[in-house]
Amino acid sequence: MDLLLNLIASGLVIGSIYGLIAVSFAIIFKTTGVLNFAQGEVMMLVAYLSWSLGNALPLPFPILILASIIVAAIVGVLTERLVIRPMIGQPIFTIVMVTIGLAATLRSGIHMIWGVDAESFESSISGGLIEIGPVVLYSEQLAAIILFFTVSATVYLFFRFTRVGVAMRATAMDETSALLMGVDVRRVSALAWAISAIISGLAGITFSIMFSRAPDIWFQGLRSFPATILGGLDSPIGSGFGGLIIGVIGELSEGYIGHGLKEISGFIVIIVVLMIKPYGLFGEKELERV
Amino acid sequence: MRTGHYIETYSTHVKLSDSRTVWHWIGILLLILVTFPILASNYFLALAITVFIAAIGAIGLNLLTGVTGLISLGQAGFLAAGCYTTGLLITDYSWPPELALLASGVMAALLSLVVGIPSLRLKGLYLAITTMAFSFIITHFLLYAEDITHGPYGVRIENLDFLGLDLSSPAQLYYLALAITVLTAVAALNILRSRVGRAFTAIRDHDIAARMMGISLTRYKLIAFVVSSFIVGIAGGLMAFQFQFINVDLFNLLLSVEALAMIIVGGLGSVPGAILGAIFIVLLPEATREVIDLLPSGITDLLSTYIYELRGLLTGLAIIIMLRLKPHGLIGLWQDVKRYWTHWPLSV
Repeated sequence: MDLLLNLIASGLVIGSIYGLIAVSFAIIFKTTGVLNFAQGEVMMLVAYLSWSLGNALPLPFPILILASIIVAAIVGVLTERLVIRPMIGQPIFTIVMVTIGLAATLRSGIHMIWGVDAESFESSISGGLIEIGPVVLYSEQLAAIILFFTVSATVYLFFRFTRVGVAMRATAMDETSALLMGVDVRRVSALAWAISAIISGLAGITFSIMFSRAPDIWFQGLRSFPATILGGLDSPIGSGFGGLIIGVIGELSEGYIGHGLKEISGFIVIIVVLMIKPYGLFGEKELERV
Repeated sequence: MRTGHYIETYSTHVKLSDSRTVWHWIGILLLILVTFPILASNYFLALAITVFIAAIGAIGLNLLTGVTGLISLGQAGFLAAGCYTTGLLITDYSWPPELALLASGVMAALLSLVVGIPSLRLKGLYLAITTMAFSFIITHFLLYAEDITHGPYGVRIENLDFLGLDLSSPAQLYYLALAITVLTAVAALNILRSRVGRAFTAIRDHDIAARMMGISLTRYKLIAFVVSSFIVGIAGGLMAFQFQFINVDLFNLLLSVEALAMIIVGGLGSVPGAILGAIFIVLLPEATREVIDLLPSGITDLLSTYIYELRGLLTGLAIIIMLRLKPHGLIGLWQDVKRYWTHWPLSV
């Protein structure tokens, strides 16, 4: 029983990271229809920049996080402006290919600048042990879960109640009508990229604090695809909870079956899910049958 | 001045090429390729073999992604399946290499049905993710099913004798790879000018309209998967012949991305485009290395430490720049140049 609870707890921890990245996938997909294959690399870039910032200046942790959020927003807007904006009007296929190219470019660029050695990411929130009944968590692991729920709630409230959030949903629904109603569609697109860079950047920083600032953290981006597929590509909150489910499934299958299933259980799950429910648990069903 | 090129009968329309000049140039090219091993060093032969294998794989992927419009990020998975099938059948089951190579194509084609059938309900992005998931599952299986695949130890293949060719000699392997590349290119061109090929294009351009025209989407999408994976599997089998020691690490995500880069840079949906793209992407890191050697030694040392990263960087940049500036790829560029010359001085 203790084993089960501990597995579920560590599943929720890693699932929170998947969930955060999946939310960022879904925000870009919902507003622009583009699936950003470079999300893992954007997350990595923000984590690396934040690590360098933390090493260069003796900032207190909250200030470092604030600075990282600003850096992430700049990264997001720049990506959109330099790489995605010039491709507007091209087929989605082409834009998605561009993000695949961007992923390869960013990943290799980061490796060339920072090298391929892992470094530890020191922070004031790490190190404590927290016992909740039979479950033992590190404080940074608990922070990951808290971050996930905070971000999910913020994203939900943002899309539901703020003017900008409503404008973004309108753009997602029908770009032309939104434009006619006075929504600045281009700014909405830049905003979506900035928000998702912030969310995945925070996920990257948390991940680096939990493990290390390592050259392979981009792979978490690909690992999060199952989460966003499970939850529905166009549903940010659904994607987030998809992440928790995939995380728990991964830990349980590793704990009870083994054979490195943690790595691929998510991928097996999505192949099954796509066979049964192609638009995910919470995604909108497109009324097109071919 | 030429005013235009008129095609008057249907049979001329579906011909591979109705231009005598094109056939002459192809003959000259083949002659050069056949005499190449006599003059070239082993380094250039190895490079040429890599180009051939990449070209076969790119032609296969192009049938699926470029012609039928089904994005696949699972190229590495099918290559791995083909490569391991050949390697294991020869090493552990003492199959003759000829049959083992054929089996690698069949194995990849059968596996493609496993992804193909569920993906009939999916389009675009979902398909890209399914195929990527599939390739991770394949490499995972290869790594963990140690009893069948030797797991992390890899497979060593020895004493390759293929229809009387000794494949441990680069020149003989070169001829085998050349022959299979030519066969694949001819086969792909013939598929494209038949009913099947036109059905593929119709599905890419508008699947609903294609269905209205009486094209069975289930059938033709599956055909696209099977044919494409068969070709990719054969390319994988040739990789086993080339490396003679195979290991899961060869088949990472960068390989799938490079495969996509080949068909994008070359020109989506075109067989010569896929070959040009394969040449470009394979030679790009080599050419860069040559350029780097010319730079001051400090920079050379720095960059040669990161040669693998540089390869990824250049592949990524090639994809972005090509899609941004020349969406029709190198083959489109060539056609533009040709049009410019034939219409000169009235060209725009």
